[in-house]
Amino acid sequence: MDDCIFCRIIDGRVPAEMVYQDDSIVAFRDARPASPIHVLIVPRKHIPTLNDIAEDDRILSEIGTVAKKIAGQLGVGESGYRFFINVNRGGGQVVFHLHAHVVAGNDLGTFFIKAAVCCAIIWRKLASLFGR
Amino acid sequence: MSGAGSDCIFCQIINGKIAADFVYENEHVVAFHDAKPVAPVHILIVPRKHIPTLNDIQPGDDILAHVGQAAKHVASMFGVDEKGYRFFINVNRGGGQVIFHLHAHVVSKAV
Repeated sequence: MDDCIFCRIIDGRVPAEMVYQDDSIVAFRDARPASPIHVLIVPRKHIPTLNDIAEDDRILSEIGTVAKKIAGQLGVGESGYRFFINVNRGGGQVVFHLHAHVVAGNDLGTFFIKAAVCCAIIWRKLASLFGR
Repeated sequence: MSGAGSDCIFCQIINGKIAADFVYENEHVVAFHDAKPVAPVHILIVPRKHIPTLNDIQPGDDILAHVGQAAKHVASMFGVDEKGYRFFINVNRGGGQVIFHLHAHVVSKAV
């Protein structure tokens, strides 16, 4: 579909940072990540929402298998991750081409920010103690 | 499989040893209200078979497709399929998983 951003990514007309591709699925980094690891798993076939998956279509199982692989590749399979699908507007769906999010909180970034703030506080205390 | 049977709360619910009102069931899954709902609609979809996490689904096992179909049915039963809902699976501790028997949450505030 011409007006679907995910169809255009799949066709190569819009760039995306691909992390996985096979015959029926692609996966790429979310353009607006909610977390250091935020990957979208998207079927090549245009299905608008989870509600539109046909009764005999096994696409969700394929998406799950890819989620598992990607979580493993990114080193969060065992530590943990969230797998979710937003359905329709009230469920937070923005792009109406079925997609699953794989999100993991790699807290390393937060850790460094906290560490930097702690160092600054300790430095100021020491500086005031020694009258600087 | 570790956690299966007597010490798994979801296995006990499925076996009828712990009472729960199933809002939906078929040969693959059962669905019931979350004991600690975070929204007006908060249903858990649980495979009858004990699989600890999403990572443990075996290749060729279509269970997630069945879970998704059940989510569709349940969302429609509660009148939130068109308004919208979130379908999610927490995987392992860091993903927020508390009960190690695979389950999907269907959550909607759009009631």
